[in-house]
Amino acid sequence: MAETVIELKDVSVSYLHNKRGIYSIKDFLLKGAIFSPFEHKSVLQNINLTIKKGETVGIMGKNGEGKSTLLRTIAGILTPDSGVCKVSIEISPLLALGAGLELELTGIENIKIFMALCGKYNKKTIHDYIAEVADFSELTPEQLQMPVKMYSTGMVSRLAFSSAIVTDPVLLMIDEVLSVGDEGFQKKCKKRINDIKNSGATVLFVSHSTDAVMEVCERGVCLKNGRIICDSTSEEAANEYHKLFTN
Amino acid sequence: MVWSFLHPLLFLVILTVVYAKFSQLPNYPLFALSGMIFWLYFAGSCTQLSNVFIKHSSLLKSLNISKTLYALSEQGAELVNFLIGIIIFFALMYLLGMKITWNLLYIFPIIILFSLFTFALGLILGSLNVFFRDVGILWVTLNQALFFLTPIFYSIDIVPAKYVFYLKLNPLYHLFFIIRNVLYEGVTPSIRHVEYSLVATIVLTLIAMFVYRRTQNGFISNL
Repeated sequence: MAETVIELKDVSVSYLHNKRGIYSIKDFLLKGAIFSPFEHKSVLQNINLTIKKGETVGIMGKNGEGKSTLLRTIAGILTPDSGVCKVSIEISPLLALGAGLELELTGIENIKIFMALCGKYNKKTIHDYIAEVADFSELTPEQLQMPVKMYSTGMVSRLAFSSAIVTDPVLLMIDEVLSVGDEGFQKKCKKRINDIKNSGATVLFVSHSTDAVMEVCERGVCLKNGRIICDSTSEEAANEYHKLFTN
Repeated sequence: MVWSFLHPLLFLVILTVVYAKFSQLPNYPLFALSGMIFWLYFAGSCTQLSNVFIKHSSLLKSLNISKTLYALSEQGAELVNFLIGIIIFFALMYLLGMKITWNLLYIFPIIILFSLFTFALGLILGSLNVFFRDVGILWVTLNQALFFLTPIFYSIDIVPAKYVFYLKLNPLYHLFFIIRNVLYEGVTPSIRHVEYSLVATIVLTLIAMFVYRRTQNGFISNL
C-alpha cells in the first residue's frame, strides 16, 4: 500500500470578494456601502480527498466550479476556512498557463527565475536545465532570447510546461496547459507525463479534455458547485462530467 | 542606477533655479537636496508598493511564498537606489557646505524609521489597491498633495501662523524635521520630533498589519 501524500479532510474554502458593484473607492463612496464592502463567497465545500503516492488524478468540472481553487489549496497558496489539508511531499510551483512568467524578461531569464523559485537554481546545473528546456520546448535560441511578452500563447505554454517538467517534480500539478499546444507538442507532453508518472511521482491534472484525462490519469474527480460529485476511475468521472452538460 | 541620482539632481536644479530666488534660507540647495532625496525614496516606494500585488499577480497565484516578500523586495530595490543616491549626495552635500560631524551618523536610525513608515504606508496602499483599483490613481494625486504639504522645498517659517498647526499634523513633517536636523543643520535630532515620528510610525505599522491581515486572504480571488 502506497503512502498517503495528500489528505484533505472537510476542507472548505471561500473567497473574500468585493460586494457587487463596489470595485473602487469611487463606488464605495457613491453607493454608500459603508459597513463592509466585502463579502465571502464559498468556493469549495467539505472536500474530502486522499491521494496516494504515484497516483494520477484528473480533475474535471465546469468553469468556475473550484478546480483551480482545489489545486491552490493543495499547493498551500490558499488557506482553508475550515478543515485540514495535509501535504507531505515537496510541491513544485503550480503550473497554470504562463504562471510566474515575467513578461518583460526573455525566455532564458524566465527559466532561471523558475529554477530559482523551485529551489533548483545552481550555477553548475542551470545550463543543463536551460538546454533541456530548449530541447523539450522546441523553442529556437532566438526565440528564447526574446522577451516573453512577444511569445504566442502556445509558445508561453511550451516554455512554462517544459520548465516545470525538467525539474523532475515529485508532485506535478497541471492546470489547463496542454490545450494550447499543437498536436505534436500535446503528444510529447503526455508521453513525458507518463514518464514522470512511471518514476513514481504524483500527478494532478486539471483539464476540460476528457480524452486527455482518460489517457493520462487512472483516477478521476469531478467537481460540481464546489463539491466532489464523483471520485472514481477517470472513465467514470469523465462520464459524470459529460452528464453535467446533457441535462 | 543613473536615474537614482540624475532624478534628484534634475529636481534640485529646477528647485534651485525657481525657488532660490524667493527663499531666504541660507544654503538653499543643501536644504532642498536633503529633503528631496528622502522624498523621492518615499514617493518611489509608495508608488511601487501600491501596485506590487497586482504586478506580481501571476506569481502570487501559483507559488506558495509569503506575500510580504514581494513587497519587501520592491522596497528593497528602492532602498538600494536610495542608498546609492545618498552616498553620491553626501559628496555633493559636502561640496554644498555640509559640516561633516559625528552627528551625521544619526541619519542611519532615521533611515530605518523612515523606511518602516514608508513600507507601512505602501503596504496599506498595495493591499487596498487589490480590491479598489483606483487607490493607485488616488495615490498619485495624494502624493502630489503631500509633496506640497510637507516642508520639503520650503521652510515651515514661511507658512502663515494659522496654518502651521495643520501642517504639523502631517507625520512626514516630523520625519523631515529630524532629517533636516541631521543633514542640513548638522545637529542631533530634536527629541520631541523623534517621539512624534516614532509614534506615527508605530501607529501606521499597526494599521498596515491590520489591513494586510484582513485582506491578504482575498488577494488571489481579486487579482
